[in-house]
Amino acid sequence: MYQVEASKALLKPRLWARTPSRLNVPRNVVMLGLVSMLTDVSSEMVATVLPMYLVFTLGANPLALGAIDGAYRGAAALVQVASGFASDRFRRPKEVAGLGYGISAVGNVALIAAGNTIGGIGAIVTFDRVGKGIRTAPRDALISLSSSRAGLATAFGVHRAMDSAGAMLGPLVAFGILLVAPARFDAVFVVSTLFAILGFAVLVLTVQGKPKRAPRDPNAPSLRSAAGLVRDPRFALLLVAAAGLSIASVSDALIYVGLQRKIDFEPAVFPLLYVITAVIFMAFAIPVGQLADRVGRVPVLVSGYALLFIVYGTLLMGSLGYFELILCLVALGGFFAATEGVMPALAGAMLPEKLQASGLGILTTVVSIGSLLSSLAFGALWFAVGLQSAVIVFAAALALAIVVAIPLLVRSQRAPLHG
Amino acid sequence: MDSRSTKILVAIVVLCVVGAGAYIAVAALGPNQTTTDAQPRAGAVLAHSDLMVRAVDPKAPTLNGRVYILENGHLRKEPGDLACERVYYAAGHGICMGVAPSGVEYTASIFNSKLRREHTIVLTGLPSRTRVSPDGRYGAMTVFVTGDSYLSSPTAFSTRTTILEMATGKQVGQLEQFKVEKDGKPFDAVDFNFWGVTFDPHNSDRFYATLGTGGDHYLVEGSVSKESMVVLREGVECPSLSPDGKQIAYKSRIGNEARWHLRVLDVATLEDHAVAEERSIDDQVEWLNDDTLVYSDGTNVYTAPADGSGAPAVLVRDATSPVRLEESGQELAHSGR
Repeated sequence: MYQVEASKALLKPRLWARTPSRLNVPRNVVMLGLVSMLTDVSSEMVATVLPMYLVFTLGANPLALGAIDGAYRGAAALVQVASGFASDRFRRPKEVAGLGYGISAVGNVALIAAGNTIGGIGAIVTFDRVGKGIRTAPRDALISLSSSRAGLATAFGVHRAMDSAGAMLGPLVAFGILLVAPARFDAVFVVSTLFAILGFAVLVLTVQGKPKRAPRDPNAPSLRSAAGLVRDPRFALLLVAAAGLSIASVSDALIYVGLQRKIDFEPAVFPLLYVITAVIFMAFAIPVGQLADRVGRVPVLVSGYALLFIVYGTLLMGSLGYFELILCLVALGGFFAATEGVMPALAGAMLPEKLQASGLGILTTVVSIGSLLSSLAFGALWFAVGLQSAVIVFAAALALAIVVAIPLLVRSQRAPLHG
Repeated sequence: MDSRSTKILVAIVVLCVVGAGAYIAVAALGPNQTTTDAQPRAGAVLAHSDLMVRAVDPKAPTLNGRVYILENGHLRKEPGDLACERVYYAAGHGICMGVAPSGVEYTASIFNSKLRREHTIVLTGLPSRTRVSPDGRYGAMTVFVTGDSYLSSPTAFSTRTTILEMATGKQVGQLEQFKVEKDGKPFDAVDFNFWGVTFDPHNSDRFYATLGTGGDHYLVEGSVSKESMVVLREGVECPSLSPDGKQIAYKSRIGNEARWHLRVLDVATLEDHAVAEERSIDDQVEWLNDDTLVYSDGTNVYTAPADGSGAPAVLVRDATSPVRLEESGQELAHSGR
């Protein structure tokens, strides 16, 4: 607990000081955090009101939303690896990330102009997700290249905390607008577009495209060398460990479904589940990142995954009270805080400078494929043997994944990467 | 960042803030009602039909519409204060599910025979279906919940169905937490969704509903007190029991599309037949009497014979959510004045 107290005192001067304070979070990282925050406010505003808007304005059955959502996921995963490599190849992470942020901003404008058919909205939302897929890997590479290897987990922690702050603010801004102007979804879309433009402007005007660790090597990396990353002895170990751990982690969406089957609270309590998890994530992302830089990223990452045992334990309990529920959500938020930023920090520290974006893109894709497999497996197990047994199987799988991951991760930290 | 970039950024921030403020101010002062003033119009006059309907605005299909009463086939001119997206009523107790006047949340009003609100319940999603047991004891509400799950992408949409005690407005059950049995064995999956409850007219503890999982849609029979359900058969959505409790009208999905044909099945034999309505209908059908169905296509209210003969006829234009009134509409409408 003392880390939180300590970090709160340190957070203020650090985030706003013009010169880096002794916590040494580079200005570029804070600016990238601001860009993500503004962009997330924008996209979460739209996501929050979209169901209401569809029904109000189009009289559409919300079933149509399901299809939009499916399009969402596939689109983002596909472009991730490609944009990472393009960013390394042309050595322009800022420009490639800018393309991604720009596409989302344009999608917002299109929503105002043409968002009056289901097909139109589907296309625009897919567009937005493609933008997200394009920007993720080059942005993470910029964060990594702007930070010293010793401060990577803190840097990613700062970025992820600001990012999730935006995701939390978005719905509040949207509700605020609808509160003063009921049913005026156009106002939500206009303000959302302005946030997207602001995010884009902050990126273009304040983010340094050639940060201190940017590659100085005159030769652009080949596709072959990027593909070769998966055969690199250290990075491959990290990928295997990350794949195993993500397959054994039940997605938060499914955890909420599980909790809903067990809790006899008023339905109005349910939206709070997401909020509590997000607040914990936001509050702990930075201190846990600092801890990881100080005591080692592998133990913090592994402890983060171990927090899921508390979550699984809660799902196995017969009946839940408020105390158990809060404990479960705190553990889940802590899990995100200890893994979301620490995992890319591990990769960023071992990847060669000129292949940062490619490597981070590959890692993100491996983790998301792992999560998809995990969700499919959990759903199938739930159906076949019931929720309780499915959770027991996943707890066993998680224990196995952690036992296997520890030596892999430790070994991946040893010898420096050639390249 | 050089001073020129700083100036440009400051200018953009100022422009965005001013632009957003101005747009919101204009929107707040402009037309921004969550309730439409649209009025239904009479279609074919069916004597002895007493109905409750909700007005539809043809320009904005699902703004809250006011609740109107059809007396002996004739539409009353003035509406009550109730306005919502879905309405149902039986034996002195009604549910009206809609957007709260603030426009940022959904609420359900529990109202009495004077059409006065007695309780207000905050809903967690978009109003979908609602029913009250014919004895007025229980009510059921289904809402669409769209996932806003953090980090991982949302699980598309799901439904949540709650059972209420109408006298108190308190929740007495949630179908997602009930035990389900299929072929004598426990049945459960992560993607279980329930919707479209209909209550047995002779025993309000007993109900039927739809269970959706994978690509299948099952008819389930359940008990409120036992908190359990049993799967009866496949391919049935939004069941609706006839007043005598002998037949179930339902919508039957066409392929895997979001399109449905209406059908009627016999509760005793589970045999079914088509209704003479060729269009796709997405509604939980209501019964005007034991031989006649009444339903909406989202714009108008139609009737059709339950035995599959004849043809649909427009009963009320610009209206949805038809509710059969056991007492005369006149009594219900005037008691509150």
